[in-house]
Amino acid sequence: MFKIALKDLRIFFGDKRGLLMTLAVPIALITLFTFAFGGAGRSEESSETEIIVADEDNSDASKRIISELDSLEEFKIISMPLDSAENLVIKGDEALILVINKGLSDSIALGNNPPFEFKYDAAKKAEVGILQGALIGDLMSLIGTDGISKRSIEKFDNENPDMDSLSRAQVHADILTDFKSNENGNDEFIKSTPLIAEKENSPALIHSVAGTAVMMLLFAVVAMGASILDEKQEGTLKKLLYSPIKPNSILLGKMIATNVVSVFQLVVMFLFAFLVFDLDILNHLPALALMIFATAFACSSFGVFLASFAKTRQAVQSMSTLVILVMSCIGGSMIPSFMMPDFMQNMAIFSVNYWSIQGFYDIFWRDLSLIDSLLISRISVLILIGAILNIAALILFKRNAFKIS
Amino acid sequence: MSTILEPSGGVVKIDGLDVASKSAECKRRIGVVPQEIALYNELSAYQNLLFWGSLYDVPKPELKKRIEEILKLFGLWDRKDDKVKTYSGGMKRRINIASALLHQPKVLFMDEPTVGIDPQSRNLIYEVIKKLHKDGMTIVYTTHYMEEAERFCDRIAIIDNGQIIAQGSLEELKNSVAIKETIVISFSNLTEEFLKQILAKNKDVKQVDDSLQFFSLNAKNDLSKIILQCNEIGLEILQIEIQKVNLETIFLNLTGKQLRD
Repeated sequence: MFKIALKDLRIFFGDKRGLLMTLAVPIALITLFTFAFGGAGRSEESSETEIIVADEDNSDASKRIISELDSLEEFKIISMPLDSAENLVIKGDEALILVINKGLSDSIALGNNPPFEFKYDAAKKAEVGILQGALIGDLMSLIGTDGISKRSIEKFDNENPDMDSLSRAQVHADILTDFKSNENGNDEFIKSTPLIAEKENSPALIHSVAGTAVMMLLFAVVAMGASILDEKQEGTLKKLLYSPIKPNSILLGKMIATNVVSVFQLVVMFLFAFLVFDLDILNHLPALALMIFATAFACSSFGVFLASFAKTRQAVQSMSTLVILVMSCIGGSMIPSFMMPDFMQNMAIFSVNYWSIQGFYDIFWRDLSLIDSLLISRISVLILIGAILNIAALILFKRNAFKIS
Repeated sequence: MSTILEPSGGVVKIDGLDVASKSAECKRRIGVVPQEIALYNELSAYQNLLFWGSLYDVPKPELKKRIEEILKLFGLWDRKDDKVKTYSGGMKRRINIASALLHQPKVLFMDEPTVGIDPQSRNLIYEVIKKLHKDGMTIVYTTHYMEEAERFCDRIAIIDNGQIIAQGSLEELKNSVAIKETIVISFSNLTEEFLKQILAKNKDVKQVDDSLQFFSLNAKNDLSKIILQCNEIGLEILQIEIQKVNLETIFLNLTGKQLRD
């Protein structure tokens, strides 16, 4: 019994690559998830949150509010015109913007609700809720709710001089209670407008389908791409090289097969989501078809590229597990990108997953059509990634897999 | 020779075409049967042959006809739709050879095509090789089995450490070595000391395990002398055999070593 155990342990610790993968994969994932959930460093440390503000009022009062918000430790205010700010939300770059509409000074003077407005992406409910909660209290403190409530009471008394003292006292108490609750974060005090409204396709459903489909596709295509290494080990590659077929044709044939399998897998995934979870694909068929092709092309190229690095299938498997999990994590397959810290969101652009998932969001959440420049840009990036990886794979395969002795 | 490796020297021509400069044309004229079984296990024998044949642009109706002929020739027509992974080693070897014949090459390279297979498959392969040879195909046959080379080859080249050390017909090779027969004697007590004493008195002697091979022009004349030498030094003889010279002994005589895998 102990001899068996000793033998197995000797084999396990003798396999340096296996040992590295056993430790490297979980360590890499622990690190990434810690960063993704913002858990790195001491818990009491807080970082500034960027708030996009569109100042439509452009008065001394609005400028003072913006300046005082910016002076708070927890916020970094970025001012920009309304249409630019709205565009950031529509594109998915920001979850929420604060708009200061015209009439701030008057509303403060008259005791009316200030013309603040939150415009947000309903897909990012969690992030929007946190930002709203943090902003409302500070905004109310800055505009001075005590003064407004007093002016509201005065206004009410002027408009209702004949009311009996008991009823008047009750109304005064109600006004004060309302303002107090506003300070504590009652979001009815500030108007909220979704720039991208709730839809039949929930963000959770889109994320689940797109994120999972892309991640699993990557695993599948790496296996397909690595089949050329199997062919080398089994001798069929050598036999192919004896035939009149050119080495480039062998690789391109592999790539075509991998692309077809990728498209097939994605189509089945979205059909499944349509049939079982009512994902509305019928209204987005042209854009979805192109996005599936672009994703399949980028993912299959990535799979073939990874395989081109290695000399054996075992080496590909070890490497691909780590690379795909890391890429899926930073690319938003596991956790939506907007929930990650800024530096991880910046890293996401190096991941195929990110461009694919954002593209599917564009289609199902933002209702973008094929002619929309944002969707076209995402598709273009995927095709560019695919083309670059394919060329690199061709070169590497010739150096590694096609080296026959 | 089979177009994959860069030549280290010299020129190889296939059907008059230089392999180095006209490799694409040469590839269409050659067939290669690699030592490893290079087939797709998840495909049937028929699907495998259809694929390998299609690489040489054989028209499909013609290809299907040839596949049927070849599968019948190799006795596998009844199993044509079974996946290759369900085949025995011998059956796989037969399909491995069949896949190199579909485009009817002028030159066929065979690398140890009978390694590790059952006698029935081996005999069938031998019959096919004889038929192909009779039909005019040039076959370059690599083997460690000297009896195969003696049986099939018009010309034989002996390669040791990557160098051709002798070549010609079997008769030419036999004449090229100064031996006609081999006296093989097995001993019960062969040691380094005994070997040194024997080597001091005899030039053409090679040790193979517990036996010594004495290369001779006339075994009958040399045998009594050798037995006397052994008795004098105390070597105990277990068995004596006199063999006519063959490729095995020529190889041993030329290289000083047994055939290796």
